[in-house]
Parts: sequence; structure tokens; C-alpha cells
Amino acid sequence: MIKEILKDKFAGAALIILILMYICIACANFIAPYSKDFSDRNQAYAPPSPVYTITQDGKLSMPYTYNYVRVFEPKLYQNVYQLDRTQKHYLKLFVRGESYKILGIIPCSIHLFGTDDGGRFYLLGTDINGRDVFSRLLFGGRISLTIGFLALFILFPIGLLYGGISGYLGGWVDIIMMRFAEAVMAIPSFYLLIILASILPANMTSIQRFTLIVVILALIGWAGFARVVRGMVLSIKNEEFVQAAETIGASKLRVIIKHILPQTTSYVIIAMTLSVPSYILSESGLSFLGLGIQQPDASWGNMLKEAQEYINILYRPWLLTPGALIFVAVLCFNLIGDTVRDILDPKSRE
Amino acid sequence: MKSSIKIITIIIFIIIFMALCLNKDSGLSNYTLNSDLIKPNPDAVQLDLNYPVPKTKTIDGTDYLQSQLPVGKFGGELISSTIGEGPKTFNPYTSTDATSSTMADIMYDGLFTTNPMTGEVIPKLAKSIEIKGNKYIIHLRKGVKWSDGKPITADDVMFTWKDIIFAGLGNTSTRDAMMISGELPKIRKIDTYTVEFVIKQQFAPFLRMLSAPIAPKHYFSKDKDWQKNFDRFLATNTDPKSIVTSGAYRLKEYIPAQRVVFVKNPDYYMINKNNEKLPYINKIVYLIVGDVNNQILKFEANELDEISLKGGDVARYKAKENKSNYVIYNLGADNGTMFIAINLNNRKNKSTGKYYVNPVKQRWFSDVNFRKAIDYAIDRKSMVQNIANGMATPLYTAESPNGIYYNEKLKGHPRDINKAKSLLKQSGYVFKNSKLYDKYGNSVEVDLSTNAGNTEREALGVMVKQDLSDIGIKVNFKPIEFNSLVNKITNSFDWDMIILGLTGSPVEPHNGKNVWNSNGPLHLFNQRKPEDSDKNIYPWEKRLDDIFEKAALKLKFSERKKYYDEYQQIIYEQAPIVYLYSPIRIYAIRRKIKNLYPSTLSGLTYNIEELYIDGGKR
Amino acid sequence: MKIWKFIFKRILQTIPLLVIVSLISFFIIRLSPVDPLAELRLNPSISQETLQKEQKRLGLDKPIIVQYGLWAKSFVQGDLGVTSAGEKVSVKLAERIPNTLILTLIVIFMTWSVGVPLGILGAIYNKTKLDRILTILSSVGMAIPSFFFAILLLIFAVKSGWFPVGGLTSYNFSDLNFFGKIFDVSKHLILPVTVLFTLSLAGLQRQMRANMLEVLDSDYIKFARAKGLSETKIIFKHALRNAINPMITLLGFEFAGLLSGAALTEYVFQYPGLGRLILEAVMKSDINLVMASLMIGSIMLVLGNLLADILLIITDPRVRG
Repeated sequence: MIKEILKDKFAGAALIILILMYICIACANFIAPYSKDFSDRNQAYAPPSPVYTITQDGKLSMPYTYNYVRVFEPKLYQNVYQLDRTQKHYLKLFVRGESYKILGIIPCSIHLFGTDDGGRFYLLGTDINGRDVFSRLLFGGRISLTIGFLALFILFPIGLLYGGISGYLGGWVDIIMMRFAEAVMAIPSFYLLIILASILPANMTSIQRFTLIVVILALIGWAGFARVVRGMVLSIKNEEFVQAAETIGASKLRVIIKHILPQTTSYVIIAMTLSVPSYILSESGLSFLGLGIQQPDASWGNMLKEAQEYINILYRPWLLTPGALIFVAVLCFNLIGDTVRDILDPKSRE
Repeated sequence: MKSSIKIITIIIFIIIFMALCLNKDSGLSNYTLNSDLIKPNPDAVQLDLNYPVPKTKTIDGTDYLQSQLPVGKFGGELISSTIGEGPKTFNPYTSTDATSSTMADIMYDGLFTTNPMTGEVIPKLAKSIEIKGNKYIIHLRKGVKWSDGKPITADDVMFTWKDIIFAGLGNTSTRDAMMISGELPKIRKIDTYTVEFVIKQQFAPFLRMLSAPIAPKHYFSKDKDWQKNFDRFLATNTDPKSIVTSGAYRLKEYIPAQRVVFVKNPDYYMINKNNEKLPYINKIVYLIVGDVNNQILKFEANELDEISLKGGDVARYKAKENKSNYVIYNLGADNGTMFIAINLNNRKNKSTGKYYVNPVKQRWFSDVNFRKAIDYAIDRKSMVQNIANGMATPLYTAESPNGIYYNEKLKGHPRDINKAKSLLKQSGYVFKNSKLYDKYGNSVEVDLSTNAGNTEREALGVMVKQDLSDIGIKVNFKPIEFNSLVNKITNSFDWDMIILGLTGSPVEPHNGKNVWNSNGPLHLFNQRKPEDSDKNIYPWEKRLDDIFEKAALKLKFSERKKYYDEYQQIIYEQAPIVYLYSPIRIYAIRRKIKNLYPSTLSGLTYNIEELYIDGGKR
Repeated sequence: MKIWKFIFKRILQTIPLLVIVSLISFFIIRLSPVDPLAELRLNPSISQETLQKEQKRLGLDKPIIVQYGLWAKSFVQGDLGVTSAGEKVSVKLAERIPNTLILTLIVIFMTWSVGVPLGILGAIYNKTKLDRILTILSSVGMAIPSFFFAILLLIFAVKSGWFPVGGLTSYNFSDLNFFGKIFDVSKHLILPVTVLFTLSLAGLQRQMRANMLEVLDSDYIKFARAKGLSETKIIFKHALRNAINPMITLLGFEFAGLLSGAALTEYVFQYPGLGRLILEAVMKSDINLVMASLMIGSIMLVLGNLLADILLIITDPRVRG
């Protein structure tokens, strides 16, 4: 299947970009020059560090940068960043920086790139707390790019089982189960989302909060999915092989899980790839409203919150990068989803 | 063929990439101060403390209030804005939120008002006042009318105070504040234009409280059941034309979530030096904007005439000021304060039998050295610089520097880690591996929260966390939803430290009683449930109770000041609340608006009747 | 006759649905630790008595079940209660619903008049460059976070000065003449409509394309082709009708989808619609307001579906059996 995806130019490119993104977030500790909480309070909203390769007297040099010094200009009520030209800081690969743990076990302090001692290198500037935006983008991606998948892994088994039972048993069970699913669907989803998110208990650790938001996202989508599965089960359950299994005396649950649900695999795969993007977008919307992932944790949605401010958009365009990344990631998922559907769904094929 | 094109494009890409990498270090400083930008703005009015207060002038038996400012032009409109959802009611007695109160202020005048420069109480709807011991005899203006032409008389004043406020209708805060040792002032009508208040004993804030708006009796009591329906009276869906007001403006229309429009009251009792009836400006529009970001966009798009600027926005507008159609005013510190409250609660929850605060933590928080150490470890200067973009003044005690009772002797101190550490050592804390342990060997770890979604406070939290880690305190910073935060503060008490802001009054510290009184409903740092009242009161808390009670009974400014100085001194020394900073108020207002007398106490447009518009286009 | 019976049956079916919806919503909201009086509590000048009065008025001192009972009783009687600020919920909703309807209907009209033709185009030219471009464009449209897009458009409005910055009407709206009013409102609507249009166009185009492809693949179309009918005739006379039928079912869902999809857009554009109202109400846990708007949202969705079903019966006689 991957071969088939790669055959398509756009989907192939999208797949490569996504894989790169996931590699980057997986190795965030190594690639990011700083940790997600590293902050230099005197460097709030510092612009991206300039990289020079030709020195002042015109000679070619290894890439270097300068640190920023912040000066407050009282007459203009303004913070101004000036380059501290007294010392050059050379950019280097595989530098020692803050220590972290590979896979949570092996301690390590090598970072892909960075500067020598005392230098600060902000590839994409800093945010209001003087935290490196580039590093936070990588750590934020860990949340934003996985939350959708995790929600799907909760939602799909529930939806499959619910739809399967409802469709297979039929009768009153079916009616009651479907009424309930319809009721959940009848609540406008985004409102349900914000209501659920706004009642999250206050003092949770970031991991708990993350998990609960995943659960909430999953709670929104299962009903629609279950309904479609039920429809498919209704048509499958009269097929011969199902009746054969029944005559052998297989239990009802076994018939549903072993014989009926596998028939829906291709639909499930299509629905999954097509719905990942909407979960990424939902998370970003929630975090944007302040109901999702909270500071000091990073997610692309809550980083984008700063982009709400007018002067940030005008003067600090680097704060818009999370928006661009959300866009790219969602677009890639959409393109791949389309192609997967074309491949798996024979109806849309010639 | 195809592959050669591919190779060429790849080569071109590599060349472009290389070219981008070759960046010459020009050696120039990337910033120079443009001297044009800092020239003083010729149109700016200097902060002038000599605002000529309007005076009473009697013409044909009518006691007008005459503006002493230059005569201006009539007409035009002023477009302002209010953040949030707009007014919730037009009833000045039931309003509990700032927006509704602002709207009420425009429509209804009170007997008195505040001198915007000195903070003194000066007459408004009242013509004059005689104070004889505990008797306050108030003379009303003759010939002054409601917006429907009916005269404003002592009956209206009696109705307002006796039948509404003292009867406990609506928001009872004014009544509760007026309760002096369990008794309300007595009010008596002497004649159509004279009313007398008798209070049990001298009470300083009393006169200022008389600036509450006066209600039109004939309008309010039209409905027989007006008392029963009072909470719903003058709701936002009331027909605007029917509303009777005494202020300079009356309501023209209210469009929910969009705007409130006021038009001038043709019967207003203020005149200019040519004896023409004020106000000058025909229409006041309040656009209802959801948040600061939208507000600033609207100002930028010229849809608003005035705006209060915050943080980084100030720099942008300051830099463009001289080429623009607005002027920027710096009104100094705000009434607002930003602080970290520390939970000193050492009581048990009656229903569960458990301590509200972990006893280990109680020991830390009840230790004044611990609290002072936090005070010294906080880097206020960086906070002001980074979070408020320099637009704030560091704060070390409870009153904001713009208040008239501000204790100037408390100079504050810079960040001093060594001092903080030595304070902690005095109380037996030890440092091991840059971590702090108390005498019993518990590592010091506290929770800090604030309301989620408030970027400023969230950034402050991150900073406090770092500051305190320098003295070995581990801070778990967790912003939580506003409602839950309030529930913690007022009900469940299960918190350690909280970053919050409150707005005080620059002229009346007594308004802070709810916070400082040991049984006050907003006694943040040591909130008591009704069943716990009077329990475990610290000596200094007792002293605060005492101060607030006594200071209110003194009438002379200098005598009261002594008390309020002491209260600030106590907060400074005990640090139950560690104050961080007070934002500086910067306003931008279009140049076409004239007769401005910017005031640190009352802001920019308090003299709305006297403002006029000259030139400028929308 | 049969249609009436069917409609009656469907309406009966919706009653338990609404009961479940209201139960779910009510318990979720009430079980939350959120306090509707939080803002008042933190106001230094509000006294204890005022707070207690408020608490009583909102019925917060009673157990949840009783609160639900009280709410349901008055809801059935048509009384939606008062907001935490003391305003009538029905009044608040009545102010906002027309605004949201204007926005939603315009967006639906536009997406249908653009999305359906584009979908047909995509299906007819299946597997060609045109189809590919359309699919990718629709992917792009779906990928922009709505709030981000809205913010960028707002900045554009400020910078260019061509559009007002959010809202629905200008400050001098009531002084304008009829055409001035229409012009004013449309000026304000352009940007939010653009955002919602971009968002929902993609989905519709895809759906239409898929339906059309399915129909074009069916036996009777093959039969019609074999008969030698012209391709235009096949598409517009036979295929289109059958491809549009399932779309009608979508209409109801799309309506509700827009209701919730519009919340963020309304929030950024400060549009005085239902979405922003609910958002603000949820944030403040204004229980009566949230409940009423959720119910209205659900009823709208159910009504939308019902209408769609009826339309379907009228257009497609097969369903009736």
C-alpha cells in the first residue's frame, strides 16, 4: 500500500513530509537545541538569530551568530533587541547542551546543533517567556500530532463494538442503542467538546490532562462512526458465512468480532485516515480557546494563541509558525487519506 | 530529457540555498533611535493638576452647574468600547459588573462626585452640603430636571436611599458598607430641595458613598409591584426611549453583543461659559468587543476614538504617534494590582475533618521569614520588563502608587537572593543540592496557580517558578480555569499560592475592607468560613481589623493617612500577599477630542459633558 | 396521507432523543466544579448577602435532580429561565438566532451553488488533471484552522481598510436607509462567510463527487450509455437526480455542523451569533443559557434531518415503501 501511495506524486510527498515530521518530534530532545521549559527571561520575543557566513571584513567564515541584548527605550516605551557584537558564537553540530534521557532511560546531552558556550541560537525567535519557539514547536508537535491518533484508537474499538452489537442483535437493543447514539450526535459537536473540556478538574498533571482531552475528543466521534458500522453490519449479517458461523454455534460476541467486523476493515482504515486531521484541528481549536493543553506545556494550538495579538502578527511573524505547521500536517493527512481511499475503495476506481 | 530537467532544478535549488546561507555581517547595529519619534507631541495636553471644577451658577431660579473650561463646538460623536459581553442591566442598583456600572454612570448622576485631581468629594446633583456634627444637610439644585422634564427633588433622593438602597433592593453592597456599628444612617426630608442624613458616628467614607446615583421615583414606582420586580427592572431589553435619566446622556439603543448608543440629554443641568446647555457631543457609542485583540484592531482601523493600551501595543502606537491622528497619555500606575497570595489557612474542614492545607505546608506559609524570602526572591524588575513590556511599576505593598493614601516611605527593595536565603536559614531551612528543606527534612514544594487563558498571569507564573527555584523552592505551576480558581479561593481553600489581580480604589482604601478584614468575604490569604470566624487570627490580622475600623471613623485626611500607612507597612512586613506590580495606564485618544484634562485618578473622559470634537474625520 | 403518518412518526421519535440530549447536557454541566457565581465572588465590592440572593435565584442550593426537574418543567412550558446575569434566556436567544441563521443560510447557499457543480465536474473528469486539482484545492481548504484563517483575514481587513473589523453592523446602522443597511450588513458578512465557505466547501464537493461517481458506475447508467444516449443527457437527466438525493440527507447535518463550526469563527470575528453566545455561556457555566442553546442546536439538527427526510420522500419515491 505504501508503494501505491508513493506512486502518487502529491500523496508521496505528503507521506514523506509526515514521516519527517514524526521523526523530528520523536527525536525532539535531540534536534531541539533547548528543552521545552528552557527560558531566558531577558530574551522575551527575541527575533530569530541571524546567521552570518561572511565576516565584517568580507572573509568567508564558519557560520556564526551573535547574542541579543535587550535595551528598554523609555521614551518610546519599547524593548529593543541589539546584537552584542563583542563576541561571535559559532554554530556547531552535535554540541553539548541540557541533558535529557533517550527513551526516558539513557542520559544524554548531545544536541543536533547549537552554539558554543554562552551563545544563544534561536532559529525561530522566542515567545513571551523567552522560550525558543523552534524547540517548543518540536515538543508541541508531540502532542498535536499524536492526540488525533490516540483519540482514534479509543474511538474506533468503541464505535466498532457498539455498531456491531447494535446491528447484529437488532430489535429493541438496536433501537435503544441507536437512539442514544443519535442523541450524542444531535448535540453540536464543538459545543459538546468545549463543555466537556471546560469541566476538566483543575489540578491535573499534564499527562492526565492530555489523556482526558484524548478521551473527550474520542467521545465526540464514536457515535457517527458506530452508526455507519451498524449499517454495514446489517448488510453483512445475512451473508452466508455469518449464518454458517451461527449454525456451528459460535457465540454472538464471537460472531460479531471474528466474522462480521473484519469485513469492515477497509472502511475503518479510510475513515481513520480521513478523520485524523479533524482531531488535530479540534485540539488546536480547544487549546486556542485555552481549554485544551495548558501552559507551560506546548501544543501547536496553545502556541498559536499568541498569534491572536495584533502586534505579534505584525512584528513577530515567527509566532505564526505553529499555524503553518498545523496547516501542513493536516493537508498531508488529507492528501494521503484521499489516496488511501482511492486504493482501498474499489468503487471510486476505474 | 526528463532527468536532465530534474538535475538542473536540483542544482538551481542548491545554488539558491547556498546564496541564502552566505549572509554578510554588515557590522551595523540593527537599531538606532529615530530622534523624530521621541519629539514631544505638540497636541498633547500636559498633565495639569489644576482642573477647574465646574461651579454652580443660578439663572432664572435654576441652579446650573457651569463648566469652567473653554467653550467648544457642539455636535459629533465619540466612539468608545467595552470589553466583554456588554451591559447586563441598565438598573444602576442591581449592576454588579464594571460595564453595567459604566453605562449607569453615564445615565445617572449622584449627589456627589470625586474631584478628578485631588480625590475630594465635590457636589454634583447636590448644590451644597452642611455638616453639623453627625448631621449632613444636603441642598439640592433647584430647577433641575429628569430627561422627561419632571423636576428632580428631595422625594427622588428619599426614594433612592430609603426605598431602594436602605431597603436592601438589588446589589446591597452600598447598604452593607454604610452599616455603621449595626445601624443604617437615618434620612429625613426637610423640604422639596433639602434632605438630611443622620449617622450614628463619624464615618469617613460616608460622603463618598453619597455619590451613588439618584433614581427617578415617578419612573421606578410606576409599576405597583416594582419592589418585587426590582431585579428585572430596567433589564437590557427595556425600551430605550422609556428610560428616564438624570445624566448627560440617555440611552438611544442597545444592540446585544454589538453596541450601546447614548444621545445627549437636552435637559441636562450643566452649561458652558456662554450659558449654553451641555454636553457638546451628541452621541456616545460603546462598541461591545469581545477581547483586547479585537479592540486594538478596531482602534487601528479607526473604528474607535479612544483605547487603553497595554504592554507591547504601547510601543507600536508611541512610535507612530507623531504621524497619526491620536495622542498618547501616560496616566501613571493603575488602580489594579498584580500579586501572589499565600494561603495561611490553618484550620480544618468541618465536614471532612481534614486540614484545608497540608500541615507541613502550613508551617512554611505561616512563617513570616518564608513569606519574606519569597518577597525577596521575586524579580519584579524582570516581570515589569518582560511581561508588561516596561509598562508597569513594581509594587511592594497593598496600595497602588496612584492612590492618595499610598505610603511613600515604603520604597521597596531589589531582588536579593542572599537576603532571601538568610531569612530562610533563620527559620531553620537548609539547602542541599540547590534544593530547600525545612527543619524536619521535608523538601519544599508548593503549588502555584492562576486563571488559565490569561497570558499575562500565565507568563508571570512561569517566571515565579524560576525565581523561586533560585532559592530551592520547587514550584508546580498549573493555570486552572477561572471558575475553579475562584471556587478554590472562596470555598475549598485547597491551594498554596495563587497569582491574581484586584482593582482597588485610589481614593478610598476602605473599599478594600472585604480583603483585609479577617472575616471579610475576600480575605484571600486566610479565608474563614462563617463557622470559623474569629478563629486563629494572627496579631497583625487583628491589628488590620482595628485599623480599618478606626480609620473609617476619622475624618481628617492626615489622621486617616496615618492608619492606612500602617496597614501598608503591615502588609509589607508580613507579606501574606506578595505584591508584584501595578500596570501603568496608557491611553490613546484621537486628537480631535478637546477639553481633555487627563487625571491619574479618574482617567481621560470623566468630564464627558465638557469634551468636544474639533475637526477630524471618521 | 402516508407522508403525514411518516412525519408524525418521526416527530414522535425525536421526543426521547431530546430527553436524552437534555439529560446528557444537564448532568455534564451540573457535575462540573464550575461555579456560575465565580466572577461575583471575586469582586471586592459584592457583599455576602448579594451572593446568597443570587444563589437562591439560580436554584444552586438544590440537589441536581431537583434542578433538572425544575428546568425540564419550565422548558416544556416554554420558559427557558434566566441567565446568570438575570436576563431572559429566550430574549438572548431571540437576539442571536437570526444573526446565526443569516450567516449559516448564506454559507449553505454558497457552498451548495459552488460545491455541487464542482463535485459533478470532479466526477465527470474523474482521474484527470482537473479532478486532481479540485481534490487538492479542497484538501487545502480543509486544512486551514478556521480561527487562524479568520485572524489572518481580520488583519487583512485592518491593513487594507476595505472591510470592517468584525461585528455585524456599523455604529450608525440605525441611521442608514434600507439599501445602506443591506450594504452595511453585507460588508460585515463577507469575511466570516469566506472562512465558513472555505471550510465547508471541501466536504460538500467531495461528497458530491463520490455520489456522482457511484451513480455513474451503476448499471442503469451503463445501460443508458449502451442505449446510446448523449453523455450530457445521461448526466443531467439521470445521474444528477440520483446523486443529489443522498446529499439532501446531508443538508440537516451540514446545518448543525455549521452551527458548531461557526463558533470559533464567530468568536474571532466578534460576530453576534449563537456560537459566540454559547462559547461565552459555557466558559461562565451559565447553565440555563447553555442548556437552552444546546437544546435549540439539537432541535435545529433534528428538524434539519426531518426536513431532509421529507424532501427525500418527495424527490425519491422509492424511499416511501
